[in-house]
Amino acid sequence: MIGRAFLATFRAVLSDRSAFMLIVVSTILYSFFYPSAYSGEVAVRIPVAVVDLDDSGASRSLVRRIAALQQADLAARPASPGAARLWLETTGAGAVVIIPEGFERHILNGAQGTVALYGNGAYLLRSSTALSGIGLALTTIAGEAASDQAMAQGAPARPALSLVQRPLFNTREGYGSTVFPGVGFLIIHQTLLMGLTMLAATLRETLGRFRLPSRTLIGIALAFFVIGWADVAYYAGFVFWFQDYPRAAGSPGALIVGGSLFVGATVAAALALASLFRTRERPLQLWMGTSLAIFFLAGLSWPAEATPAWLALLARLLPTTAGIHLMVGLNQMGASLAEQTREVLNLAILILVYGGLAWWRFTKISAPDLQPLKPD
Amino acid sequence: MIRAFVDSARRETAFLRGSVWDLALVTWLPLLLLAIVAVQLSAGVMRNLPIVVVDEDGGGVACDLIRKLEASPGLKVAARPPDMAQAEHLVRSNAAYAVVLIPRDLERTVLRGETGKILLFYNASYSTPSGSVLREVGTVVQAHAKALAGEQSAAIAGPARVRPQPVSVQSRILYNPQASYELQLVALIHPALLHLLFMIAVVSALGRELRDGTIGAWLAGPRGEAVAAVAGKIAPYILIFLLWGALATGYLAVYRGWPVQGSVAMLMGGYLALYLAYAGMALFIVGATLSMGQALSMTALYAGASFAFAGAIFPIESASAFARLWSALLPFTRFARLVAEQWMIGAPVLASLGSILALFAFLVVGSGAGLPRYVSARMSPEVWGRR
Repeated sequence: MIGRAFLATFRAVLSDRSAFMLIVVSTILYSFFYPSAYSGEVAVRIPVAVVDLDDSGASRSLVRRIAALQQADLAARPASPGAARLWLETTGAGAVVIIPEGFERHILNGAQGTVALYGNGAYLLRSSTALSGIGLALTTIAGEAASDQAMAQGAPARPALSLVQRPLFNTREGYGSTVFPGVGFLIIHQTLLMGLTMLAATLRETLGRFRLPSRTLIGIALAFFVIGWADVAYYAGFVFWFQDYPRAAGSPGALIVGGSLFVGATVAAALALASLFRTRERPLQLWMGTSLAIFFLAGLSWPAEATPAWLALLARLLPTTAGIHLMVGLNQMGASLAEQTREVLNLAILILVYGGLAWWRFTKISAPDLQPLKPD
Repeated sequence: MIRAFVDSARRETAFLRGSVWDLALVTWLPLLLLAIVAVQLSAGVMRNLPIVVVDEDGGGVACDLIRKLEASPGLKVAARPPDMAQAEHLVRSNAAYAVVLIPRDLERTVLRGETGKILLFYNASYSTPSGSVLREVGTVVQAHAKALAGEQSAAIAGPARVRPQPVSVQSRILYNPQASYELQLVALIHPALLHLLFMIAVVSALGRELRDGTIGAWLAGPRGEAVAAVAGKIAPYILIFLLWGALATGYLAVYRGWPVQGSVAMLMGGYLALYLAYAGMALFIVGATLSMGQALSMTALYAGASFAFAGAIFPIESASAFARLWSALLPFTRFARLVAEQWMIGAPVLASLGSILALFAFLVVGSGAGLPRYVSARMSPEVWGRR
């Protein structure tokens, strides 16, 4: 009976055009579609406008060095700060450097010359990394540009400390390799959830209320578990490889356990949710708009530490929250299951809670048994 | 014509009143999603992000540095593991975002008057908090170095010879001086949620008449009246979602204190144009598929990914040609630029007029292609009831 329900579920997915589109086609489509949005990778060069109000040897030397900077693209030389501001408004994620009048005189007098760097806060996320890079480089090259002029004063104090920064795990630091490993598991979660609830709602619509024998429910759950695992294998195995994202850092055994927990919790949640819908299109209508909020709640792009504690706790009711942490941890950071105990427990509890809910909703109801999945 | 418009709008609102879940899609569901995002990002800046410190040196310079790291509001020294292996274990357990390694001999290097290196290993898999940690640690180390340099030079050459670095760089963020992610993210995520829910609602409303085979009776009149009736059906949704747009804007601009630097009228005009653009695209997709289910799936693909392709968060200019083309085909991309211009930068009204006109173009092209097919479907019962 489990086997029959298992096969019947696959038949249902294959014969329902919309469900097939959702569960199979869109999963593949999204795997190429979304990474293309992030293919811009790190914004290493941002356009910079330089306003030189000093027009001295030291300032000209600084402008030349800015032009040669790896992080900056000397895009304009506006005559005034006002013109530079106008340039920044139309450019978007750019930066303005202003060398004030008296820059060289200050240095020669043994005082400090000042350079102002302005970034565009309307594009904060895009420009903040590039800006801190330019700021650091500016400090260095401005010091070099000034040192010729300042030699007469004796060598300036050397910095006592310097900070060397090294990325861990995601060493490519691209937008894609940071965001998509999370988005990928969200796609798997959403397509499974909407596909399964849509099929269940279609049955409910045509058959009215029905009861599922426990074994039939297990067969259906197993079928979706297999589909979910195929998704995980396709994303973690093929898509991450094809896009050359950091991957497979953890042990295969841990990945199998982690993937099973994520898919298990997703299927259990989908089954629990599926018992609530009566109209075929309803799950699509109501659930489609949730993806963006669910992604942020997962805590990959906005940390749980900066989220109100009660909301971060509620977010743990979603399989994606623990699932994305766990899969990024195992696959990209090379963590062990023991290091990810919190996520493992979280998913295990969700499987029990949602699984129990689905079992209670589908098998304990007083309604006729579901006919099409029963033996002839 | 006006009669057909008004009757159709009345018919739709009556339907909404009677259908709990269709009503939910335009009432408490938008409110819930807007609220979740608003609450989650309300901190704006990240504080107390956990880091761990490995102190191989153990000298006074290192101790002072650790004290300063602990005092920094953006950081929290969560543990002091004895070696890097333990420290990396803590990062892999998501207990810390970064490791500050103070190497052996730091004290001696600094005392010799040379530059001592502090190493910072950060979890690049979590780039937003790690970027914040990076900036905070950088600031602390720089400040500590400045204090040390003063002391060292004074000790070696006498206080009279102490000279500051010849050049200092002052960084400022324009148009968002507090560098708040709340303003940047919420101002974009809210309309991203709203335009998607709006398009789902309109596609559902149009598709439902086909699914239920009621389009024939509903659009029984001549062609012109039928077009007016379609407009009347969409009008209540535009009105409802304009109210959500106004609420979202008011929340951020008034309640949270991120005032609109440019024109509020232009921003709300932008919302209207955004909804009209997606109404046009909804007509296009329903007209093309003549099926509610398929139209909803295509809506997910078209309007569900706007945030990623808008170019405000990720640099779409340097992405692939396909991504740039797709980005240009999304009305939300235009709207995101309008938000930056009118909310944050305070650009002149004329600067954003082009974006509004571009949004109207989506309405004209989308409804021009989709409306005739949709209206014609009222005469062809054979396409009704497709699921």
